[in-house]
Amino acid sequence: MDAYDWQVIPNNLQFLMQGLFTTFQLALVAICGGLLLGILVGMARLSSVRVIYYPATAFVNVMRSLPLILVIFWFYFLVPLMAGRPMGDFFSACVAFVVFEAAYFAEIVRAGIQSISTGQEQAAYSTGFNYRDTMRYIIIPQALRKMVPSLLTQAVVVFQDTSLAYVIGLKEFLRSASIVDAREMRSVELYAFVGVVYFLICFTMSKLTKRLEVKRGHA
Amino acid sequence: MIEIKNVSKWYGDFKVLDNISETIERGQVVVICGPSGSGKSTVLKCLNGLEKFQQGDIIVDSVSLKDPATDLIKLRQKMGMVFQRFELYPHLKVIDNITIAPIKVKKMPVKDAVKRAMELLERVGIPEQADKHPGNLSGGQQQRVAIARALAMDPEIMLFDEPTSALDPEMIKEVLDVMIALAKSGMTMAVVTHEMGFAREVADEIIFMDQGRIIERGTDQTFFENPKSERAKDFLNKILF
Repeated sequence: MDAYDWQVIPNNLQFLMQGLFTTFQLALVAICGGLLLGILVGMARLSSVRVIYYPATAFVNVMRSLPLILVIFWFYFLVPLMAGRPMGDFFSACVAFVVFEAAYFAEIVRAGIQSISTGQEQAAYSTGFNYRDTMRYIIIPQALRKMVPSLLTQAVVVFQDTSLAYVIGLKEFLRSASIVDAREMRSVELYAFVGVVYFLICFTMSKLTKRLEVKRGHA
Repeated sequence: MIEIKNVSKWYGDFKVLDNISETIERGQVVVICGPSGSGKSTVLKCLNGLEKFQQGDIIVDSVSLKDPATDLIKLRQKMGMVFQRFELYPHLKVIDNITIAPIKVKKMPVKDAVKRAMELLERVGIPEQADKHPGNLSGGQQQRVAIARALAMDPEIMLFDEPTSALDPEMIKEVLDVMIALAKSGMTMAVVTHEMGFAREVADEIIFMDQGRIIERGTDQTFFENPKSERAKDFLNKILF
């Protein structure tokens, strides 16, 4: 192999950026979907009703004890079976990530809700709110604010995790680089580039999260 | 209007309420006092179903709290509650703290709810604080907002759970003044407090509790001047100096 030839990156930039775009799409779906499902599961984890508490707890414990890559495989084979027709790698990756990340988001949400005093709940009940509206208008908005730093940290982790969708052939950022590599044989340059891009995005997000935390700490 | 019939409650093996009975008539002001841990606050929280009890019954306007068919959500709309630690919603402005329940629970139009909230803020003496967040108010102001919030649902009875015990001394009076005015306007009230000046001025009945039991009850005259039980004498000596 010749010396390093960085020209491979601009030459394939459009293809690589398409991959990065897919990564962003998958991360966005995983974060939004995972958070929504996570809020529900997190609330269920705090329920005093057994038929709600136990399944939610089992779900969280199972998901958090499995490697993500296995869950991605599962859903890759499971989703088409359940749907009765091929669903495409992007869709099954989305389902896998939403379900998997929901377990992690759920724990953040549970801790966030528990950090709001029961007095707030009692105050809401005392003015005639039912459980749903107490959660919706009083508890969740406060809890979410407290959770923002943890949620952002988890979002960065999700962003990195999306590279695992590589295993089912999804053309996300890492997979795009490996496809280019198979053609151009420039592993060092390509994977260095991928690493730098991941680092820049995640490091920036982490720094922003830190700053937010500091700002809130003083507020 | 409220009838507490032989109510007992346990936390595990510990009996927090021991055979409590009491009747609160419309327009009456009942003050509950006693040493900490005597079950005063628990009585209040049982009244609006925030806490459950295992024995006896509480009847509010001929509705039984023990009856599983009773709609607690509905029942609580008749009862306002003011807490020791205010429990204002920190993420909402003062005005929104007051209007949120009328708007979301009673489906009151926003305009009407805001108008009513401003009247209530006027009544508790702090209309100029409407657009602030609770965290920027003093303790006394926060507690007055909390009273306005409870009144916004037009309750038939107000429950006060040690409304002044988390306040700095110089702020106690501003809250008590609001409560006295409320009592004199004919509101039915159940007040857990050690403010004996308040009790003397407006209480129709004073209940003294200790270790989950009602030890003594009386009007302000009989209670303050001639307490029957040693326990009440001792308690009064300590808080009245």
